[in-house]
Amino acid sequence: MTYRLRLLAILHLALSLCILSVTSCDRSSSTVHSPVKLRFWNGFTGPDGRTMLALVKQFNESNPDIYVTMQRMDWGLYYNKLFVAGIGGRAPEVFVVHADSLARFTRANFVRPVDDLVGKNGIVDPSDFDENVWHATERDGKHWAVPLDIHLLGMFYNRAMFRKAGIVDAKGEPKPPTNREEFIDDLRKLKGINGPDSWGFVYTWQRTNVYTAIRQNGGDMFNADHTKTTINSPQNVEALQWCADLVLKEKLAPAPQDFDAWVGFLQGKVGIAFEGIYMLPDLRKQDGKLDYAAAPVPLLFKQPAAWANSHSLCLRANLSGPELEAAKRFVKFLSDHTLDWAAAGQIPVRKSLRASERFQHMNEQREFAKEIPYAAYFPAVPYNFEYMTEYEYGIEKALRGSQTPQQALDSAAVKITRIMNRFNGDSGATP
Amino acid sequence: MTRGRRRSAWNYLFLAPYLSIFLVFLVIPLLFGLWISFQEYELARKAGDVPQFIGLRNYNDALHDDYFWKALWVTTKFVIFSVPITIISALLISVGIESIRGKREQAYRVAIFLPTMITISVAGILWRWFYNSEFGVFNAILPVKVPWLLTPNWAMTSTIIMTLWWTVGGPVVILLAGLKQIPEAYYEAASIDGAVGWRKFFFVTLPLLRNVLLFVTVISVIGAWQIFGQPFIMTAGGPERGTLVLVLYIYAQAFNNFHMGYGAAMSWLLFLIIVVFSVIQFRVMRER
Repeated sequence: MTYRLRLLAILHLALSLCILSVTSCDRSSSTVHSPVKLRFWNGFTGPDGRTMLALVKQFNESNPDIYVTMQRMDWGLYYNKLFVAGIGGRAPEVFVVHADSLARFTRANFVRPVDDLVGKNGIVDPSDFDENVWHATERDGKHWAVPLDIHLLGMFYNRAMFRKAGIVDAKGEPKPPTNREEFIDDLRKLKGINGPDSWGFVYTWQRTNVYTAIRQNGGDMFNADHTKTTINSPQNVEALQWCADLVLKEKLAPAPQDFDAWVGFLQGKVGIAFEGIYMLPDLRKQDGKLDYAAAPVPLLFKQPAAWANSHSLCLRANLSGPELEAAKRFVKFLSDHTLDWAAAGQIPVRKSLRASERFQHMNEQREFAKEIPYAAYFPAVPYNFEYMTEYEYGIEKALRGSQTPQQALDSAAVKITRIMNRFNGDSGATP
Repeated sequence: MTRGRRRSAWNYLFLAPYLSIFLVFLVIPLLFGLWISFQEYELARKAGDVPQFIGLRNYNDALHDDYFWKALWVTTKFVIFSVPITIISALLISVGIESIRGKREQAYRVAIFLPTMITISVAGILWRWFYNSEFGVFNAILPVKVPWLLTPNWAMTSTIIMTLWWTVGGPVVILLAGLKQIPEAYYEAASIDGAVGWRKFFFVTLPLLRNVLLFVTVISVIGAWQIFGQPFIMTAGGPERGTLVLVLYIYAQAFNNFHMGYGAAMSWLLFLIIVVFSVIQFRVMRER
């Protein structure tokens, strides 16, 4: 009996030890010519991830002396995993950060400046980028990342609904609106055209839709040197008022539902939606059942502007030696192959690539790319996550009519000022 | 070595696999959480900064944070409405299923328990689509347009309905087991005394089910205070923070804004609330 028990116990122990050690078991790989290993982290969990994986595979095949492993996770989880890894000194050699989140990472010293790597004979040539795009990854006089793409907010419209509503040009082709008058006029014509629950326009991502309006009206979130928030400036209040009126007064858009409203566009019940180019795979999945096209966002206020962001390739701070050389080649490879990347629903940042024959055939990307000269990035401040919450809370209250735009933005300004004081005053504690 | 001691050594050996996991993934993080709740522990800190010991400042900050109080109020509303609805529904469903005999009982039991097996991410996305007021299935069926997730109060109601569907299976199964333990003889005796229908339920079933009910209620209350997945997936705390429950706010502060110390402090405050409620529940239900 005791013998049996003992045997059982030993077996039990052996089993649990095996389970505990299983993670370390599969690392026993040893090659004679061990290639330089690079870890590449990103948040590409959608179809874009498959495209990126194919690019990584292609790179590994053509560069036998380097081996890149890619790890992708949802953007929501990604940044805090990256921070934990960074603090523990285990950050990946190459990783992707959105241009507007970069400040948080440079402040923590996780990122290596790339000034010495770019130039005529470097990874990339800055003159191949639009100035505003290149500037978006700049901070404190240094350049911190190589922009991989630019994802702009543009206008997707339902051609079938436009035809049905008679919004066509002389040749009978659907005619997207280009200014405020046309836009409002089209919304009136489109509302209810495909049944009582069909709309001319829906707010999808309120954050980007309203920011585009704010920037078109000449406003922004902070003053130029980011010492003061301007979120409740008269321009911003005016822009938000117009956005809210569309729902509450004109009744030309339903109450905002964020991404779920996008489903309405996919179902052919919405005439116009302002969304990012990354929604393209979603649209293509409709298999021709949805007759859509893309165009720049109309001029709704004083000046053209469209929200944008860039996935940017960053190198780990203190990267040097063979790893740095390998990372440079990898980043250059990705940057050179951004046309493949763009096919998955992105726009290449490099002018030379956009001039190619191949890009001219990417209809939606080509239309959205027209907005690049006035691409509007969110300001890159280190408290980007915190202030964004307040901004979104404010515009949500206004678009739902539970507060006036002035009240909503005033209270956001109070909260954001408090956040800024904390960040500037000490290392940045709690609310 | 005495026989007793020897036995307990063996016991620990058998428990070792579980205990080691329990220790590494629960006890140590718990204590670490307590430790950092007294620190200005920033994940996204400036280069060169180290976490500072700041005593009770995080706790004090929480008590002066209006979003914390709002989240606490939202969570309280959820607990107050969700738990009684879930427990009463579970009781009625289990008594109903118990009265059915044969294969059909099995089928109902499976049907009620099935949603509990679905992970919250799947269930949440499913219900978010159901609830979509413009394009969702509920509003397609109903004659009126219900703003399911569009106003703070409706969003809370929708969360409670979805939670009922998703979680009622657990209490039902436990209550069914409790019902099966009540000897048939009691019901026969009650019948002889002239009790029928509801009287049997109130004077036989309920008193004999008390311990099981206590267990189910305590578990439900604890679970309800910790609600996270439903609003996280369906509403992201909106609209207008109307479903921003405490754990979701803690998550946002700790993992979106990287204020780990602050998040830890609020977690410990939530822990205290749950402890207090559990103790009260045990007291109240035991005394009767």
